[in-house]
Amino acid sequence: MDKSQRYRIGVDIGGTFTDIVLLGTDGSVNTCKVSSTPDDYGRGIVDGITSLLDELGVATSAVDGVVHATTVATNTILEMKGARTACITTEGFRDVLEMRRLRIPEMYNLQYQTPPPLVPRRYRHEVKERLGPKGDVWTPLDEAGVVAVAKRLRADGIEALAICLINAYANPDHEHRVRDLVLSTFGDDLYVTCSADILPEIREYERTSTTVVNAYIGPTVKSYLGRLSGHLAEAGLNVPLHIMQSNGGAMSARAAVERPAYIVESGPAAGVIACARVAREVGYANVISLDMGGTTAKAAIVEGGLPAKTSEFEVGAGINLSSKLVKGGGYAVKLPFIDVSEIGAGGGSIVSVTDTGALRVGPRSAGAVPGPVCYNMGGEEPTFTDAMVVLGYLNPEHLVGGALPLDAEKARAVFSAQVAEPLGKPLLEAAYGVYTVAGATMTRAVKAVSTYRGRDPRDFMLFAFGGNGPVAAVEIARELQMPHVLVPPAPGVFSAFGLLFTDIEHEFVKTFFVRSAEIEPSAVEEAYRRLEAEARDVMAQEGIDGEQVTTTRQADMRYSGQAYELTVPVGAGTPELARMARDFGEEHERTYGHRSETDPVDLVNVKVIARHITSGDLAYDPAKMTRRRAKGDGALKIRDAYFGPTHGLVPTPVIDRGDLTDRSRHGPLIIEEYDSTCIVPPGCQVTLDELGNIDIRLG
Amino acid sequence: MTRDIDPITLEVVKNALSSLGDEMALVIMRSAYSPVVRDSMDYSTALCDRHGQIVAQGLTLAVQLGAFPEIMGHITAEYADDTNPGDVFIANDPYGAGGQHLPDIYIIKPIFLGDSLEGYAATMAHHCDVGGIASGSVAIHATEIYQEGLRLPLLKLYEGGKPVRALFEVIEKNTRNPVHVLGDLRAQLAACDVGEKGLQRLIDKYGAALLHPYFEELQDQAERMMLAEIEAIPDGEYSYTDYIDGFGEHPDPLQIAVTLNIKGSEIVVDFTGTSAQVPAAINCPIAMVKSCAYCAIRCIGSEEIPNCQGYMRAVTVIVPEGTILNPLLPAACAARGVMGYRVFDAIMGALAHVVPDKVIAAGEGGPTLFSIGGYHNGAPFTLTEVMVGTWGARAARDGIEGISNPAANLSNQPTELIEAELPLQVVRYGLVPETAGAGRHRGGLAFVREFKLLSGEASFTVRADRRDHPPYGLMGGHPGGPSRNVLSHDGIERELPTMPMEALLMKAGDTFRHISAGGGGFGEPLERDPECVLSDVIDQKVSVEAARGSYGVVVDPATCTIDIPATKALRAEMAQTSEKE
Repeated sequence: MDKSQRYRIGVDIGGTFTDIVLLGTDGSVNTCKVSSTPDDYGRGIVDGITSLLDELGVATSAVDGVVHATTVATNTILEMKGARTACITTEGFRDVLEMRRLRIPEMYNLQYQTPPPLVPRRYRHEVKERLGPKGDVWTPLDEAGVVAVAKRLRADGIEALAICLINAYANPDHEHRVRDLVLSTFGDDLYVTCSADILPEIREYERTSTTVVNAYIGPTVKSYLGRLSGHLAEAGLNVPLHIMQSNGGAMSARAAVERPAYIVESGPAAGVIACARVAREVGYANVISLDMGGTTAKAAIVEGGLPAKTSEFEVGAGINLSSKLVKGGGYAVKLPFIDVSEIGAGGGSIVSVTDTGALRVGPRSAGAVPGPVCYNMGGEEPTFTDAMVVLGYLNPEHLVGGALPLDAEKARAVFSAQVAEPLGKPLLEAAYGVYTVAGATMTRAVKAVSTYRGRDPRDFMLFAFGGNGPVAAVEIARELQMPHVLVPPAPGVFSAFGLLFTDIEHEFVKTFFVRSAEIEPSAVEEAYRRLEAEARDVMAQEGIDGEQVTTTRQADMRYSGQAYELTVPVGAGTPELARMARDFGEEHERTYGHRSETDPVDLVNVKVIARHITSGDLAYDPAKMTRRRAKGDGALKIRDAYFGPTHGLVPTPVIDRGDLTDRSRHGPLIIEEYDSTCIVPPGCQVTLDELGNIDIRLG
Repeated sequence: MTRDIDPITLEVVKNALSSLGDEMALVIMRSAYSPVVRDSMDYSTALCDRHGQIVAQGLTLAVQLGAFPEIMGHITAEYADDTNPGDVFIANDPYGAGGQHLPDIYIIKPIFLGDSLEGYAATMAHHCDVGGIASGSVAIHATEIYQEGLRLPLLKLYEGGKPVRALFEVIEKNTRNPVHVLGDLRAQLAACDVGEKGLQRLIDKYGAALLHPYFEELQDQAERMMLAEIEAIPDGEYSYTDYIDGFGEHPDPLQIAVTLNIKGSEIVVDFTGTSAQVPAAINCPIAMVKSCAYCAIRCIGSEEIPNCQGYMRAVTVIVPEGTILNPLLPAACAARGVMGYRVFDAIMGALAHVVPDKVIAAGEGGPTLFSIGGYHNGAPFTLTEVMVGTWGARAARDGIEGISNPAANLSNQPTELIEAELPLQVVRYGLVPETAGAGRHRGGLAFVREFKLLSGEASFTVRADRRDHPPYGLMGGHPGGPSRNVLSHDGIERELPTMPMEALLMKAGDTFRHISAGGGGFGEPLERDPECVLSDVIDQKVSVEAARGSYGVVVDPATCTIDIPATKALRAEMAQTSEKE
């Protein structure tokens, strides 16, 4: 290989597999999938990287950086294995964390159980102090009380501390003083997060919960990243390590140790970033991404080239269809997230027939173990994947490029007994029903990011990836009347691909909260400048000097009295408040279908996003993409596949992505690849675009 | 199955409908103005078929959803020949329009495809003020509905797509807070538009001829499933009487008597024996009573039952006229919510005789309604709070603290938003130790919420309950702690009635504190796992003394451990004493 070549590595870790992607400055792309090593994930990652480098003859010194997406933060919460965490609150507010916002995501269920608070009441302590809404001191801090609490924390063996005082969003002084007093009693081995530092935003429950999540996962993330850095160094990879944040930007490992709550959704964010980037390369700015894997399907929306964001997220809420509407199933984290809607429909989703004869797909999953029946690894319940084997969509002999042999007969037998017979339908029709119902379930995820935001999915292209996304994409597109589907190369490891195109990004927010007509523009300008200065400081700590940083301004606004804000972009220079209010009105109309010309508008938060563009000069060359061909001898293959009552069982050509060109071919076709299978039903047209994407037009 | 139904299409249609109900709810939540709608989420959405029957509902307030059938009945009967494209109905009147109380305004839009009526998008929201004798329009001391604010019979707010300006102007002039009321109405209208568009698209796709039989099938399926659930309950008559403390300084208790007559797959919920209507605003129009009855019965059924009206067909509700649960004009009803929650509690109490493992001991008793208003920086302000927080215990688990009433699913308002917008300080908001009903599984703890007025003067009304008749426990479980209302002026505390028959004055520096009732327990306290008692002691939810006195568990406070021999001995002794009794 060319000695002047430089490389960037993306690593996306999952519970079962770790995906590694290597991008060269010549545009070459190499991927590999290795087993994860849960006892010490860093070891598996570094072994995978070194073996890929060895295979390609690339020296470790030719690598410039590693960007990593990890599930460690989320899993720490799901498994309730975080640090022993305490919380210090204002007198009278010990139970903010446990009272939550009261609501629960279910009706009529008297046996419901709320998730236990991450900090039990015994570790939540009150201190005497009180700030007013403008940050004015109503009651001074009782420092002796803080010292007493600190001693108690020590006696209790506390490892992490969240400090969350009422109205601290307006003034961090009391929280910082509490921190200093506790640390001076404690020494250094306590992980501390102040709410005013992680989220200086109004609403005490959301801020407290976010702070507690950060503290709870902090020590775990710190040791995880410490070990990973150690393994990388041992392997000679003394390169910057960046971590993907939930908002699609990257941050240094050091910053992630301080603000781990920012990385809880790093994997899903990477997939959306990849989607936005690839779509842009082929000229599409408005895209809905669909990532369907083994247990869930995730959708997100990209508009004008930018993924839509949200700051309403709950970790561990499970997969709840209405999670947009009713919260309370998990732990609130009110930080910037790419708005990813997740639904329990994946390859491993279990198919069942209820007592009343209804067909259900998921949300229970057979997981990787025992997996679908056809894997022959002990799975006894039929899954989505089994239904796809019955339909002839998936290769009846093997999956994953031949690595995993399948038992199609067993799948058919089990599916027939447990689904087709109870349903009173012929085998193929029942299996097609699974395809339809799973599609309908997944359309809810797509609607949650589109129609729920006032966007019409018909104006968007559907971008499908993940192991099962390309199997189900056309069905979902048809259900939502979307005309166009794109399937990128290497769809099974596509999320890791997004890591390579991530910029370093930090978001800063400050509650301003004043009626816009009453604000001095200079005061807003001052608030923005202050945030921008803070942004430059943080970027400098990442080793990026001021000139390389671009900042953009945003504002969270609402009609006076509303509870939810909409975010609007704000131009540089002294803000024009009338214009901001007008932009807000337009966005309100677009999102909710109505606006007011007369009602006063509040400015609630000012926001600054600082970016260091690292990906702009990176490009990939589809010609230099190592494509692992599916197992086969190149001979023309035909397989019978069932496309519903209208078309019936159709002899369908099974081809490789490489067999497609820019000349349109008609469905039905099955495109088998190393890590995924793409279904092109009858009536669709398919081509391969210049970047190697499968381009499907619905008839 | 008489009609030709494909189970797969049925599943797809059901999915599409319920996501549409949620989408409507989301529009209201995000774009409503008043705190009671936007933060407490006191509103509901539903989608109805062309006969006005609910086919889907948003994940909103269970007790309100069963109230749509009443108003839909009026629309389909009275406007059968006068429902046209572009019309929107409005109403709030409990006497003749199917309303619940005046603050709850219904906005309902018929959905047409061409000239053909295909369904209705229905919304209901609790508005922050519709006039009347007190700010917030929920004054308990009203004695006739004429004192309670603007009465809207069933009218058209839009006719053929055109707003009826006269009506908008009347509404605007009859509320203390027109910006919030009109803003919330806009949010309701926008939600109806979303429901309309969605249903039209669904019909476009499947065709009305194909789709409507699926709507019917969903109704029938819900009914069949509910009937099967009732069938599984042993036949018999099961009664329970619960109480409302009553109003004023010297309250007379009011009786909610219910008898469930179960025979085969039929259930009759009969409220004969319930107290007569009263000269205070707690009379509960029948729309809400039915709704609460449906909700309670639905709660013991499987979660798989589709959320449509069909399940309600399986339940018959009888309420004698002129009672607090079926009042006649001009009974006042602004603060009637408490009755609805007691209807739920009474039915749970009756069901506990026969399906104890499916019910729940009484919780805090439903929302405490607190409404305060005054002037701040020259402009009027109002704050309406619906305070909830506690579940009673279940057969298999403890109650829950920090949760909405099972029939309500309301939210709380952030302290910091209240303080940033209003001249109020929230002094404390949290759990109150020692208030949970003891039991093998204990009830949830009560909560306390305290407000301080920071400047000027304000007046407030409050409607609580469950002081003289605290939330019941089941199967030997103890009742939860009683509720309290305390007004503090110049450091002197004054205990207020649960339902004071007046608007009370607050001056700068005064505080009002509400402590809710605690949840009832389930099962004998002496059977509670001592480790659970210890854990509650460490969390300061139960005291060392109560661990001993109520549970017979001896905890050493210094080491936070259980003295096992002492506990065994004490429990044996306590068991013997209670046997003697």
